[in-house]
Amino acid sequence: MKFPTAFDVIVIGGGHAGVEAALASARVGASTLLLTQAIETIGQMSCNPAIGGIGKSHLVREIDALGGVMATAADKAGIHFRILNNSKGPAVRATRVQADRVLYRNAIRQAVERQSNLSVFQDMMVDLTLQSDRICSVSTRLGMEIEARAVVLTTGTFLGGRIFVGREQHAGGRAGDPASVELAEKLRSLPLAAGRLKTGTPPRIDGSTVDFSKLEEQPGDEPRPVMSFLGTREMHPRQVSCHITHTNVRTHDIIRRALDQSPMFTGEIEGVGPRYCPSIEDKVVRFAERDQHQIFVEPEGLETTELYPNGISTSLPFDAQYEAVRSIRGFENAQITRPGYAIEYDFFDPRGLLPSLETKNIENLFFAGQINGTTGYEEAAAQGLVAGLNAARKSAGLAAWVPQRHEAYIGVLIDDLTTMGANEPYRMFTSRAEYRLRLRQDNADLRLTPIGRELGLVPDDRFKVFTTRSKKLEACNEALSRTTIRLNSDMANKLSKASGERLSKDIPLLDFVKRPAVRAEHLTSAGVFANTDESYLAQALIDVKYDGYLRRQDQAIARAKDQMSIRLPDELNFREIDGLSNELREKLEHVQPRTLGNAASIPGMTPAALSLLSVYAKRYSGLRKTA
Amino acid sequence: MSETICAVATPPGRGGIGIVRISGSACQRVARELLGFIPSPRTAIHTDFCAPDGETLDSGIALYFPSPASYTGEDVLELQGHGSPIALERIVGCILDQGVRLANPGEFTERAFRNDKLDLAQAEAVADLIASGSAEAGRAATRSLTGEFSLRIRELDQRVLKLRMFIESAIDFAEEEIDFLGDTEQQSRLDEMRSLVEALIDRSTAGLTMQIGLDVAIAGAPNVGKSSLLNRLLGEDRAIVTATAGTTRDTLHGDLSLDGLPVRLTDTAGLHASDDPIELMGMERAQTALSTADCVLWVIDDADENLSTPDMYRGKTLVVRNKCDLTGNTPGAVGKTEFRTCALTGAGLSDVCEGLKQVAGFRAGTDAFAGRPRHIAALKRVDDALSQAAKELSVREGELVAENLRVAHESLGEIVGITTSDDLLGEIFSTFCIGK
Repeated sequence: MKFPTAFDVIVIGGGHAGVEAALASARVGASTLLLTQAIETIGQMSCNPAIGGIGKSHLVREIDALGGVMATAADKAGIHFRILNNSKGPAVRATRVQADRVLYRNAIRQAVERQSNLSVFQDMMVDLTLQSDRICSVSTRLGMEIEARAVVLTTGTFLGGRIFVGREQHAGGRAGDPASVELAEKLRSLPLAAGRLKTGTPPRIDGSTVDFSKLEEQPGDEPRPVMSFLGTREMHPRQVSCHITHTNVRTHDIIRRALDQSPMFTGEIEGVGPRYCPSIEDKVVRFAERDQHQIFVEPEGLETTELYPNGISTSLPFDAQYEAVRSIRGFENAQITRPGYAIEYDFFDPRGLLPSLETKNIENLFFAGQINGTTGYEEAAAQGLVAGLNAARKSAGLAAWVPQRHEAYIGVLIDDLTTMGANEPYRMFTSRAEYRLRLRQDNADLRLTPIGRELGLVPDDRFKVFTTRSKKLEACNEALSRTTIRLNSDMANKLSKASGERLSKDIPLLDFVKRPAVRAEHLTSAGVFANTDESYLAQALIDVKYDGYLRRQDQAIARAKDQMSIRLPDELNFREIDGLSNELREKLEHVQPRTLGNAASIPGMTPAALSLLSVYAKRYSGLRKTA
Repeated sequence: MSETICAVATPPGRGGIGIVRISGSACQRVARELLGFIPSPRTAIHTDFCAPDGETLDSGIALYFPSPASYTGEDVLELQGHGSPIALERIVGCILDQGVRLANPGEFTERAFRNDKLDLAQAEAVADLIASGSAEAGRAATRSLTGEFSLRIRELDQRVLKLRMFIESAIDFAEEEIDFLGDTEQQSRLDEMRSLVEALIDRSTAGLTMQIGLDVAIAGAPNVGKSSLLNRLLGEDRAIVTATAGTTRDTLHGDLSLDGLPVRLTDTAGLHASDDPIELMGMERAQTALSTADCVLWVIDDADENLSTPDMYRGKTLVVRNKCDLTGNTPGAVGKTEFRTCALTGAGLSDVCEGLKQVAGFRAGTDAFAGRPRHIAALKRVDDALSQAAKELSVREGELVAENLRVAHESLGEIVGITTSDDLLGEIFSTFCIGK
């Protein structure tokens, strides 16, 4: 049966990738359908109830700057806000929000329902139709065939998902939800390189059975930060505390005794799990010398007592989970509400994708989220936005837009995935960004909102807020560079007093604020910029502080741009290049870099090898011209 | 399959031994044709080298290294004969008849590099070895060739990686109780690295000087004994020496070797007021020589009270107070950059030579590396970045420490290959228990 309407773009899946994909596609004007197994689970946080964190909140702010929903939903659902790395530099400062699962889901669903050009339909995709390597429709379990110009697949952990608890295992996409088995089989028959990855969750605990007096309380930060550029504290619901406890020697003994029951150690799970998010059994085995591991006890929501003990994800059999949990301080009488489990699922080598996230082998088919080997809500949402945008642009005959590494963490994410692939579930870290000093939370809107506006991703109300903000910042920067502090003037005396920094001659204010001890509040308390919001001043000072570094990076960016502009011909045979080491040759064959810039990011690459490549690229294009 | 190549491996014309080297798949065929048999691998065998018509061309040692255990990684055959240029030419001629071609300069090394027998630094060191004019430079090149330079750089690379691991994990895993930013250990780690880099720069620069040598200009007023100094240093009568001021009208050159350090001496016309057009031209040339020299020997009469030395020169200046026999002062070093000499007798000249070696950064311990300008430039960038990192660490600017270390690592990567952020994260995960 043909579905009554055809769409420009169909997005499969209503998770964090699917939602941003569908919203972005609809925002830029494409008629879009969000196809999901269950409308109730749109925007569901399947793992821990938190948004943001170091590297991750950078992504969230960029999604926000491009008109995405994740940050405002986090503000509407956030019940505990923290600034991480507050004592370190502004570039690595991050925001983390504990979110009420129900409030978060509601905020997302509301945004989806209010979005024009966007329809939602509940059914399961089981098949797709190709016309000469181009996707033209998807088919559902109910026998519906829905036509579309482009399709975005965001299957999460559902694709061929298998759930493991001890020696028990069954097909499933998430506890309580069925896996996509037929679709997985269909996709494996296509020319895409499939692999298996693994992730896991901890057992959930009934908070009414926990002795909080034995746990260390961790309240949210005051003054409370906001996540979105549109966010205000008034949007936040009631705030609650998190808690911290630790495993101990007894816990580790229990776990060690049960290892022969763990599917990860018996070899039943073949998928690779993330090294930075190991299961508790992994931690106990790999770091045997540690006699305790930290557990963050996170509330699942305001209207529930259920807790998420972050740090003890496990696939041990239930009896071992039960015993291990009860060995932990404060959890002596704890009741488990849902057992922890490991889940293994299909993903496809992201090197099979163009930077637009369209698959190289099947035209108009886009992938976003865990299907590309990533982990995390934020990483998924960022890809969703890019895939949705580019699916819409492709359906309208427009060229793709992808941010570059120096423009956004989203650019780092996509470049890493499409050139290096994923050997384990890929998570964002600030150390992945070589231009970290410019890719900050505070300037995500300055970096991306103007281009987002041009692309049609940024609606009027958001753009208005941005314009006001950027004008104020500009005024602040101008005032900073215009002012000179005269020796012995009233201003000089007040500034010296506030900051403790001495002056020996007239100096430009811009030079004075470069001194490490000088902070924004010194200027406002000295009456300089009395009429300026301190937050604008603080932000202006960040650019001053990083000035020299940013200028040096500008040169590196220009160099990288040059390299990126040198295309390596698709037919270039790396085996034929004399002078490359076999190791590099193999890596090049594996990665198949599209440009010299891609090649430059391959581990072990040397300038000599790069110059060889550029010589061959040049020689090759010369040969083709004469042929 | 690449072509088989051959070349005479010993310097042309000289020596009692001449070696012909062949590399490639045709080695066995060549051996059968010229020797009548294939020598057993890696064994020196004394045999005749014969032309296809049976005529004996020479006799000597044949050595066969089958692939991959050879210098180039291919089959290699070495024929060590008596070094007569005519015999060598005839041997090569017979080999070329077997479908072998003459090797391009450096092609053996290039093949070794291509077959993973050498890393880039080693391959460049071989190039230096071949090009090096002096024995000291040869020794420095050998030290790099055996991988010591590579080894040191890799050691440094590992240290940078390790420190970055501590700094980056403190940044990216702020909640994991692994904040090492405040540890005094990091500061001492940085200090250690900096002294390593600086030592590497010194040793590489010394190696570079060993190859390119030191350009020394002899300058001063007329008739203070510049030309005598040149003659005495060279041990030959290169310059015409008279008691008449202004005898040297053009610049004169001479090469000498100070314990293997190549020194190129330039004698210049005396600088004084004159309107003789030839003398003026000579003085102009003298100025040019002075402005390009690495070191100037500024010669004055020991009796002269005026000590003012010219400071317009690029290089360092050593003051030579000549004719100390006339003042009765003791010849020898007066200070680090001042010497008393008598060019006529040669007294005090050995001290001047020591001074020149000092200027060149000559290292008596002969622990110089065959530095390449590219390596030295990269190491200087590493040094800058590390010193900046130390500054930022002292004010606890973690992300700026990290940025400088990243730059240092990137510069090292230009010598040994880049380390990606993924390698760095791998190091963090294998060292620390990370993750909730």
